[in-house]
Amino acid sequence: MNNRPIVITRSRVAQFGSIVGGAALLIGIIGFIWQGSLTSFVIVTLAVGVAGLGLWAVLNPQEFTGFITGRQVRYGTVTLFSTLLLIGIVALVYTQLQRSTVTLDMTQNQRFSLSTETLGVLRRVTRDIQITGFYTSRNLTTRELDDQFFRLYEDATDGRIRRVYIDPEENPAQASRFGVQQDAQVYISYLNTDGTEVDFNTLARVPRSGAQERDMTDAISRLLIAGTVKIYFEQSLGERDPLDTTSEGLSGIHNGVQESGLVTAALNLAGLAASGGDIPADAATVIFARPLRGLSEAEIGVIDRYLQRGGALLLMADVLYTDDAFLGESDLFNQYLWERYGIRALDAVVVDTASSGTTALDVVSAAVYTDNDIGARLAPDEGISTLFRVARAVDVNIDSAPPNIANGRVIMSSPLSFGETNLATLGATNQFTFDEGQDLPGPLTTVVWSFHQQTQAKIVLVGDSDFATNGLALSPQGNGILFTDSVAWLTNLSERIQFSPQAFSANLPLIFVSQQQLDLITFVTIILLPGATIVSGLAIWARRMRQ
Amino acid sequence: MNTLTIFRREVEQYFTTPFAWLIAAAVLLLTGLLFNQNLSQAARGATIVDPAFIPSVFSFALVFFAPLLTMRLLAEERREGTMELLLTSPVDEGSIVLGKFLGAWFYFTLLLALTLVYQIILLSISQPDIGHSLCAYIGIWLYGGATLAVGTLFSALTENQIVSAFLSMIALMLLWLGDSVGQVIANLEVARFVRTLTLQGHYSTSFAAGLFRGEDVAFYAGIIVVLLFLTMRLVASNRWR
Amino acid sequence: MIEVKGLTKRYGDRLAVDHLSFTAKPGEVLGLLGPNGAGKTTTMRMLTGYLPPTEGSASIAGYDILEDSMEARRRVGYLPERVPLYPDMTVRGYVTFWARLRGIRSPRKHVNAALERVHLMDRQNQLVRNLSKGLRQRLGLAQALVHNPAVIILDEPTIGIDPQQVIEVRESVRALGKEHTVLFSTHILSEAEHVCDRVLIINKGRVIAQGKPADLRRQMEPKTQLYVVVGGASGKAARQLLSAIPGVLAVERDGDGYSLTVEGDRDLRGEVSSHVMQAGYTLLEIRQATTSLEDIFLEIVGKSR
Repeated sequence: MNNRPIVITRSRVAQFGSIVGGAALLIGIIGFIWQGSLTSFVIVTLAVGVAGLGLWAVLNPQEFTGFITGRQVRYGTVTLFSTLLLIGIVALVYTQLQRSTVTLDMTQNQRFSLSTETLGVLRRVTRDIQITGFYTSRNLTTRELDDQFFRLYEDATDGRIRRVYIDPEENPAQASRFGVQQDAQVYISYLNTDGTEVDFNTLARVPRSGAQERDMTDAISRLLIAGTVKIYFEQSLGERDPLDTTSEGLSGIHNGVQESGLVTAALNLAGLAASGGDIPADAATVIFARPLRGLSEAEIGVIDRYLQRGGALLLMADVLYTDDAFLGESDLFNQYLWERYGIRALDAVVVDTASSGTTALDVVSAAVYTDNDIGARLAPDEGISTLFRVARAVDVNIDSAPPNIANGRVIMSSPLSFGETNLATLGATNQFTFDEGQDLPGPLTTVVWSFHQQTQAKIVLVGDSDFATNGLALSPQGNGILFTDSVAWLTNLSERIQFSPQAFSANLPLIFVSQQQLDLITFVTIILLPGATIVSGLAIWARRMRQ
Repeated sequence: MNTLTIFRREVEQYFTTPFAWLIAAAVLLLTGLLFNQNLSQAARGATIVDPAFIPSVFSFALVFFAPLLTMRLLAEERREGTMELLLTSPVDEGSIVLGKFLGAWFYFTLLLALTLVYQIILLSISQPDIGHSLCAYIGIWLYGGATLAVGTLFSALTENQIVSAFLSMIALMLLWLGDSVGQVIANLEVARFVRTLTLQGHYSTSFAAGLFRGEDVAFYAGIIVVLLFLTMRLVASNRWR
Repeated sequence: MIEVKGLTKRYGDRLAVDHLSFTAKPGEVLGLLGPNGAGKTTTMRMLTGYLPPTEGSASIAGYDILEDSMEARRRVGYLPERVPLYPDMTVRGYVTFWARLRGIRSPRKHVNAALERVHLMDRQNQLVRNLSKGLRQRLGLAQALVHNPAVIILDEPTIGIDPQQVIEVRESVRALGKEHTVLFSTHILSEAEHVCDRVLIINKGRVIAQGKPADLRRQMEPKTQLYVVVGGASGKAARQLLSAIPGVLAVERDGDGYSLTVEGDRDLRGEVSSHVMQAGYTLLEIRQATTSLEDIFLEIVGKSR
């Protein structure tokens, strides 16, 4: 009688051990498969499981052996464990393949492969970059598709570029920090030096267009050059003000340059000339946005020394009705440019009698030369044209260019235009007529470029400055493109982000088919094929039924 | 050897009964209609022909179509009593299950191959992205194998074909819903994990987009292996009841 | 050929087969006789490897059904009670399929032999679904013997077919017994008597009698029955009168009259009638009933119940 309570306790403990042990073992195995490694949690649960079952075996050996030798249980357990083992193996293979990115891009336009250009850009990545994507769970498939693509960047840089996804609804604070406005927006930025936080100073939104790779690689390139390319705005010759926010100012393009990761600064050419100084060595490009006067010899000397070092100039020469105009026909600097670089400005206002603008003085680009990157994205036929309000004709000496010079046109006006040389009358009365022999016959050049093959000096000369102002920079579209692509060419940005256009043709094949062909296809696919299947099925069936 | 014998009988069965031919005709009619609609739209310039169009039609159609193919595989054997004879023959359960599954997969493969007609038509009137289409076809072939494995499992669970088909349709529907899982589950990471367990999650954003990923192959192959293993044990459990 | 030792099958608490032991020699047709639910089918399923025994062991042609299941299965031809058929196959295709599954590489000869044997050669290209019930039974037999197995197990092969075909099937089974060991189950005693060399009568999973059919009959034969209806006597008087007749072992009331159990195979009709007459009663009916094996069977089964 005394033993009885002890016996009950003993078997109860055994029962308890069996239940807890079995459950813990199961949880441990699931945990192991889930986490893929022997974490302390997994080890503890497995240990508890083994201990529980051990307790059962020791305290109630008969029940224990009866349990495990029962055929059904043995069979069931073997099935369970081997199934779990199989699932574990599958999961292991799966994660291994996932980690090692065993993929094959089978699309014609290599949508899931990085171009050599992109790989070139990625080789220069030395600091950790984070791609931050904001997707809600509703946009799961977009995110999966994008992730396939972003993963290529991560793999190509051995993880230097990493991907982070944030649900803007789960985490609105982060979303507002990044400035998320809609679903599926993607940002790119450097990480702070400790590698944990996003460096918000370098944050940029990655646009979403048809050319995913171009957008992303562009963004990375901009990040790479951030802070390394410095653009100087000349300010001592009465130029337009880069900080002026009125429609005559340049604040728009100035901000745009900064947003593209370029650094801007002001340059005082007059001061440098007076002190015998030099244009700073870090100047990737100097922009002359409509200087009001001609340059002195000393100032030309400063510029010459800069160009000899491989400098780059963006010259915007507007029509000025003054005697001492910048790049006037007898101006020293104009002569310098003509002799050394084969380009010059002409004292002629382009009058376009076929102009689609409000007056004949609104000069629209009619022909664009695409041999230089500056003109590559301008396409008047597709409505991407520039508009110059009172433009000055410029000239380029292609046939007998100075030694080591490569030069060319970018934009020309329409064949129906001419160059009015009588600036005085035009300035006073706003009248213009074509005077045979005196005025220049069209078409006329309005933008030219020149490149010194030895010094690598580059110059873009535009016979207008209005196109870059806040009033006109974004409309028409071509104006902004002309400015950014000029800067990109001058600073060699376009060489860093150079794409072969066909690599990004998102255009899927067009279909060439007549109605007749369509009808035939309809007949074959909807009537003939299914019909033939049914008939052959019935035939076989009928034949067999008779057997 | 035994697998081959059973496989051959299955394939013969598909081709000598009107049922399988009717299914094939229905599938061809469905894909044909959708293909024509898509094509005439594209011809009018409204859309482009998606290289993965036909395979993607299958990705949904298989939810209903795979159970019809597999419902009789094992259920019928049990109902007709032939399972008893199979299990008392010197044949292991693995051969039985594998032979039957391969038979169904083979039939599906032929059906899929028939739809290559659409690709040939496209090829004659356009320059479609063949690599992309091929990738989608490989994907849907594996996807189809996985759905047939699901159907095979349910066929072994019950001897009523209708119940078997109904259950596997429900299961496949759940597995198909992968792309909409985000609508249901608000948490992105959970939604993403759930999606990786679904059939669509390994097709619609990889194979269908022209990207062949090793992990997707592993997923479908894994599903097939695990489910066939379970089916095999289930069939063998007759011996142990 | 078949050796069964202590074979037991338990479904939960119910014993379907209870420590069954028997052997069957080569060239013997062994009958398993018993009512429905006696455990015949379960025994056969265990022997063919379809069901695992709970206890005990069995071997076929020397191969244990659990340890060497594959080898044992290779040597068994089995026809379950409900003939398992693929309706959409041809007769030839069906037999060929099973021949292949039983490991025959080029089954043509075997199939021909099997079809000849069950007289289905002229129907070899017919669809199984178009066969009559008797022909299906024969087809089932063909698949069981196509691989020329050492042991053929037939589970109630004559159930549900017309008498003419029953005779055909019985003949086939007897013919098979010359070359194979045949285990044959039935619940019809006369069938066992016709077909089997030896009969095991089983009930509730246990062997309750065994032996050659003729022996079994002889065991039971002494008990001839006589049915008598006596007019004009009270029940007690009639009983007294009848039991006093020499050679009558027992008297039992049976409807209007009495059943008498008579010693040996004596014909007592004359004596009974004269005794009744002498006592002044009228003999309304007298009839002799020889026991059939059915009665023996029912009696044995009844006793074991």
